[in-house]
Amino acid sequence: MPSNPSKSAAIVAAAEADEIGYLSSPKTDMMLGIEAIHNACREAGISTKDIEGIANPGGANSYAEYLGIVPKWVDTTAVGGCSFQIHVAHMLAAVNAGMLDIGVVVNGQAGYSRRNFPRGAAGGGGGDALGPDAQFMAPYGVMGAPSNYSHAMTRHMHQWGSTKEDFAQIAVSTREWAMLNPRAIMHSKDTNPNGGALTVDDVLNSRIISWPLNILDICLVTDHGGAVIIASEAAARSFRTPPVWIAGAGEAIGHATMLEMKDFTATSAAASAGRAYKMAGMGPEDMEMAMIYDSFTITVAITAEMLGLTKRGEGPSLFAGGRTAPGGSFPVNTNGGGLSFNHSGMYGMQLLVEAYRQLSRTAEDGIHGLAGKQTDADSCIVNGTGGSLSATGTLVLTR
Amino acid sequence: MPDYNKPIPIPDPMTNKPYWDGAKEGKLMLPRCTACNRFHFYPRIVCPTCGSRSIEWTEATGEGYLHTFAVQHRASGGWAEEAPFVTAYIDLREGDRVFTVLRGVDPTKPEDIMKKIGALCRIEFDKASDDVSVPYWRVVG
Ligand SMILES: [Zn+2]
Repeated sequence: MPSNPSKSAAIVAAAEADEIGYLSSPKTDMMLGIEAIHNACREAGISTKDIEGIANPGGANSYAEYLGIVPKWVDTTAVGGCSFQIHVAHMLAAVNAGMLDIGVVVNGQAGYSRRNFPRGAAGGGGGDALGPDAQFMAPYGVMGAPSNYSHAMTRHMHQWGSTKEDFAQIAVSTREWAMLNPRAIMHSKDTNPNGGALTVDDVLNSRIISWPLNILDICLVTDHGGAVIIASEAAARSFRTPPVWIAGAGEAIGHATMLEMKDFTATSAAASAGRAYKMAGMGPEDMEMAMIYDSFTITVAITAEMLGLTKRGEGPSLFAGGRTAPGGSFPVNTNGGGLSFNHSGMYGMQLLVEAYRQLSRTAEDGIHGLAGKQTDADSCIVNGTGGSLSATGTLVLTR
Repeated sequence: MPDYNKPIPIPDPMTNKPYWDGAKEGKLMLPRCTACNRFHFYPRIVCPTCGSRSIEWTEATGEGYLHTFAVQHRASGGWAEEAPFVTAYIDLREGDRVFTVLRGVDPTKPEDIMKKIGALCRIEFDKASDDVSVPYWRVVG
């Protein structure tokens, strides 16, 4: 049972940037925030490397990367000027729950210096013209996620001997599920000229976008709305709808830009899944199906490895021989995936909706699923991947 | 210069000035931590290896090794005219990694480029404007 978090955490240091006010020589938001963290750590007698969690409105991933740390707790809650009080409240609860021991709430904001930034670089929101992406990646013509993720697929092929054919099997298995989902874009020739049955050769012969990624290795771009209702244990038992228990949860960030992705064939899902499994007291061997964010076939392959569903380098093999397809022993992406069902930009919601349907036995209602789509899985691992293979969140759900 | 039709970065004068100044002179300048002696990239005011703020700029060899690559068939602006072209991550001789457009390879033969993973690469610079020179890397090994 949860315990009262009162006094389970304390503020042990507080500090500011080296200079504040009207800076004679301008500094960026990041420089100001980093100086403050550094000074607070010094005051507390710890290294920045001791920080396990970071809270900042919107920018926790960039702070983590900048410091060269891989936080196990983040909060990017961005609700205006009171955000930082809320960050402290969240961190208290997380500490009480044992999720971290040392965290920092930080903000850097060059409200004055900003006017002295180089022309074209100032202005809030959107991309940061002085950030690492704009300085060191954008000049080289990369265009969106496909042109980045392809580098990871090449490295997987080099490091583990996988082939484009291996990855194509992922798209084929996922399409088979889409053919059982009337709401899937690629359900049939009736829903889309390119819908319906798909073969490995179809994938290999489809238009090349960013070698080794063909267009059928790449998710759709669609509209979507979704929501899940979450209730306490006591409340959940009073609903007339069946509960699906959140048995485990974990989160992690490996990097923000792919410049900082040390191993292009590994994501932080190994860490986030490890925590989710531990919380649930279960392991990969206990999972009976998986919902894996499939922005690209390479995303699924790497994630399957990180979740412990296969050995390192063997992610694509999970999809061989129909094992993950309808009627197979380990169903994966039973809604038809981002590849063939729907991908609206942030597909994590679609993963949750389908995992709920499967475990609540409502996956075959005629609207969202035809006969053969409902599995008998009692457990499901759900993994979302965000950014450029950057951040991951993993849930273990059970009936 | 006027014919440089690719995106030209706006140098960050607060964190990266020595890098872009070096590029104008045909040098690769990298931040190095004087506490742990490790190089890092992209440039920061704190060492991502040990957390020290004792950073100094050092001229690097301009050599590295091909880590991975992709062949871009779709691009915008000036890069659209170049497609297909090869983008790559280079492991610097000094440590850490940079991103670039790779030269000295045939974008129509990705299987041949696969065999070049690990090969020696060297930096070169294109003058994009009076203020900015953009680094590129070429497979030489
Ligand atoms: Zn250092």
